[in-house]
Amino acid sequence: MDIKRSYYEDIELFKSNTILVWSILLFIFLGILPWLVKTYHFLGMSIYIVNLITINALVAIGLNILVGYTGQISMGHAGFFAIGAFTTVIFILNWGFPLWIALPLAGFISSAFGFILGLPALRLKGPYLAIATLGFGMTITTIIKHMEFFGGRMGLQAPKLYLFGTPMKDIHYYYVIMIIAVAMVIGALKLIKTRVGRAFIAIRDSDIAAEAMGVNLTYYKTLSFAVSAFYTGIAGGLYAFTLGFINPESFHLIMSITFLAMVVVGGLGSVMGSIAGAALMTYLDIKLQAIQDIPGIGPALVTFSQNYMSIGGISNIAVIVYGLIMILIVLFEPLGIFGFWIRTKRYWKTWPF
Amino acid sequence: MLGQLIVSGLAVGACYSLLALAMVIIYKTSDVLNFAQGEMAMVSTFVAFTLLESYHVPFQWTAFLTFLFAILLGMFFELVFLRQAKDPTVIGLIIITLGFEMILMGFAGWKWGPDQRSFPFPVSNIETYNFYGLIVSKINFWTILISLVLMFILFLFFRYTKLGIAMRATQQNQLAARVMGIRTKWILSFTWAISSIVGAVAGMLIAALGVLDPNMMMDPLLKGFASGVLGGMTSLPGTAVGGAMLGIIENLFGGYVSLAFKSVVAFVIIVLMLCIKPSGLLAKHYVRKV
Amino acid sequence: MLKRNLVLIGLLTVTVFLIAAPAPAQQVRGVTDTEILIGQTGPQTGPAAAWGAVARGSGLFFKGLNDEGGIHGRKIKYFLRDDGYQPAKTKAIANELVDQIGIFGVVGCVGSGPGMAVRDYYTENKVLMVGFGVSGVTNWIQPFNRYIFPIYPLYVDEAYALTRYFFEQMKITKVAMFYQNDDYGKQGLEGVERYEKEKNLKVVASVSAEVTDRDLSSHALKLKNSGAEAVIMWAMPTHGALLLRECAKIGYKPQWGTSSTLSDATLMMQITQGLWAGMIHSNFGDLPDSNHPLMVKYRAWHQKYEPNERWGTFYYAGIIFAEPLVEGLRRAGRNLTPDTFIKAMETLGGWQGIGMPITFTPTDHQGGKHVFFGQVQPDGSIKRLTDWIKITK
Repeated sequence: MDIKRSYYEDIELFKSNTILVWSILLFIFLGILPWLVKTYHFLGMSIYIVNLITINALVAIGLNILVGYTGQISMGHAGFFAIGAFTTVIFILNWGFPLWIALPLAGFISSAFGFILGLPALRLKGPYLAIATLGFGMTITTIIKHMEFFGGRMGLQAPKLYLFGTPMKDIHYYYVIMIIAVAMVIGALKLIKTRVGRAFIAIRDSDIAAEAMGVNLTYYKTLSFAVSAFYTGIAGGLYAFTLGFINPESFHLIMSITFLAMVVVGGLGSVMGSIAGAALMTYLDIKLQAIQDIPGIGPALVTFSQNYMSIGGISNIAVIVYGLIMILIVLFEPLGIFGFWIRTKRYWKTWPF
Repeated sequence: MLGQLIVSGLAVGACYSLLALAMVIIYKTSDVLNFAQGEMAMVSTFVAFTLLESYHVPFQWTAFLTFLFAILLGMFFELVFLRQAKDPTVIGLIIITLGFEMILMGFAGWKWGPDQRSFPFPVSNIETYNFYGLIVSKINFWTILISLVLMFILFLFFRYTKLGIAMRATQQNQLAARVMGIRTKWILSFTWAISSIVGAVAGMLIAALGVLDPNMMMDPLLKGFASGVLGGMTSLPGTAVGGAMLGIIENLFGGYVSLAFKSVVAFVIIVLMLCIKPSGLLAKHYVRKV
Repeated sequence: MLKRNLVLIGLLTVTVFLIAAPAPAQQVRGVTDTEILIGQTGPQTGPAAAWGAVARGSGLFFKGLNDEGGIHGRKIKYFLRDDGYQPAKTKAIANELVDQIGIFGVVGCVGSGPGMAVRDYYTENKVLMVGFGVSGVTNWIQPFNRYIFPIYPLYVDEAYALTRYFFEQMKITKVAMFYQNDDYGKQGLEGVERYEKEKNLKVVASVSAEVTDRDLSSHALKLKNSGAEAVIMWAMPTHGALLLRECAKIGYKPQWGTSSTLSDATLMMQITQGLWAGMIHSNFGDLPDSNHPLMVKYRAWHQKYEPNERWGTFYYAGIIFAEPLVEGLRRAGRNLTPDTFIKAMETLGGWQGIGMPITFTPTDHQGGKHVFFGQVQPDGSIKRLTDWIKITK
């Protein structure tokens, strides 16, 4: 079952009939998800949160291509996110491009910047690369903030889009985002299996050896940055419409760090892991403050807070728990959520040995 | 004007250097980028503040107790979180430090509340000395002095004491150091303790220069990190040079060109420097053997 | 065989869900026989957490109000949520408040960024927004929105009035400006420049800083070298403290002026270690120690319910923004719908609680058009310099 008998088998997307059926069920599930969420409110979700998770998943996949598969590091992805968001809105607002042209264009502009960032990254490693990317992220945000062309400090209001005449609401955006996301996920999965993907992995494992084997480091490293930026840029464009309003201040360092956390928590080097990581981190980020409402623990925390700690600060518990979860996942499963999945699968496969 | 800018740049740069120092010490021995450094310093400073304000402990004792707390905090972090990580990747370690940073930040916000306060440092932050027309505020002067002294002590420590050499050995090759009889687990804890103390000093100075609130270390940490990278993450004198340069460049740019882009320019310059010298200014560029 | 079974199971599940769909309906969202549901988002954590006090202040007000019996037999059920000043979170909370909890309206909600992200969503869902944004930016009144009732005085007009005060009352012509590099700071700059232009003057120096900047020595130097007699500052408390300190260090003592955002004199005196004395700023609400009967009542509530909270300007600002909401609910009567509420609000003309006189008309929803100027005394208290001045047309 896991043994591949030919190269074609290895790169096939749907490896067996079982996977094909489950994939079809998955698509059906995704199709009716908005209706499910609206009626059942499970886990307190709304379509908006699902949209946000999908967008973050796209960024996480993009970042994973760079960090998990090519072994680089980037703390400036909020910059690409911002570029994607602002260029999409500018194209539609100022020049009237439809979304399906503006979005890929924004993605390409973002990947151009990714390529530019990739150039100095060729010589840098570890903390030096981290600072370079960090500086890049900050520079982009500051430049956008100062250019009136991008709305300056007031930010930009994303224009209302119309789908066959009706103004688009959350649920329409859901389908647009989901279709784009599915396409890009399949793209990422396929990318890993091609020559380019293998070159990335070779660079991660040992770049000098890879070069000795004929992998052109310059080309592939910058390509990795560019592809990663492309994914993030498109996600940024979608984000602008999900949120409805973008201002440069929200694309800050904490956002870059959160993206990184999603990738690591989900699992480096695994597309499915990034999606899981993004889902978990986004959901926690938004929902953790409900911890005060948990019966039992909630009021106990409030009384504790009033006696020993400051009053208003009780919401900080959410931040503490968030950080704790991050640490625990990385500590106990360095391969992230994907690692949990692999372990569970292996456990069931080798049972009852 | 020029002289004034340089002097205040040096003072701010001294704070950055201290933070860079704390980060470089850890990086040298554990190969971990400690992003929680800022928050660790901030919590230590808040502890000092509580001791000074609520319990009215005189400053010398406060400093001593704060350092004790810093040592415990550093060792706690290393022991409980970092050591438990099985076979961590570089980026996994970064995420652990970031998680710890969030925990500390949340804790400080919870315990002390978000209001800003002023930190009662024994040196006034308003009075000044006057050197030939150049006004140096007392706090700036003492910041530079304390930083230099601390750096010098640590430099001597690493170069000439047995413990220092043991720490360098641990960084270069942990396994070999163990084989040589160095108790690497203790060394690591000790490293974190020292780094935490340096951070606490930086935190108190920064609080004295500015205001004390849970967010005060976010920007200085970044600049400190940048200074460390500029000077070379494996070189202690590099942190002094890096911090000073960063502070001065920032101020000169702000004074003569544009205050709006001040912070950004610092990063751009660093990236450019890194393009020329990828391992920082004063560090030796080790080429890895495959 | 397997495929067929799976398809059958899938169809079955879908049918079950379709049949079992629940859907409770309500007459007017957020209003029941005994309760009115009101929400507020605010930064309880994160870099802007100091403004979280506003949301808690509103909570205190509602608690006291409920104990007095509520409004027309209904009590207010209050939902306080933390958005960490991140628009993405604000929108998620807005979804929760409207779809899952079903609120009638929101009060306060600090932040122009977060506010902009949810403004259109709330408008589409006919959610009333009173005292929205807690920031004097013009986004809440342009374009005109019948559901929004902003209260905070406009920054542009505040700055204009302050410059005018300096010019006419104190005969100061050389004014410099220090502002934060975001829409708050820039609107302050706009106000100052507008007045200067009318008098054919120019701002002698205009210095900006990023929110995260911690070293303001070069900024102070620039201000000093400009020779300004007064400096107007549109920044956050931390920068206020830093700048004053830097200027004291280089021996520069202009007349300072700032916006009502820094009107929490107790806090400012503490973090500037007394340098704050002499600062002139506008105020949007009564002074913390005033003897206004409502203030006395609210202070009693504060002692009773939340004695550990500091009675700071922005804590009772939460009350200032909630008072008009409650007055509107009162005037709307027992038959409460968004439309009756809007009509009731639009009857408020010069109505005053512990804040500025508030007026809403069918064409103009900017409620707060007045401020008064005060000067900080060496003991930390504020001395009223003027009565309520109208700053917005």
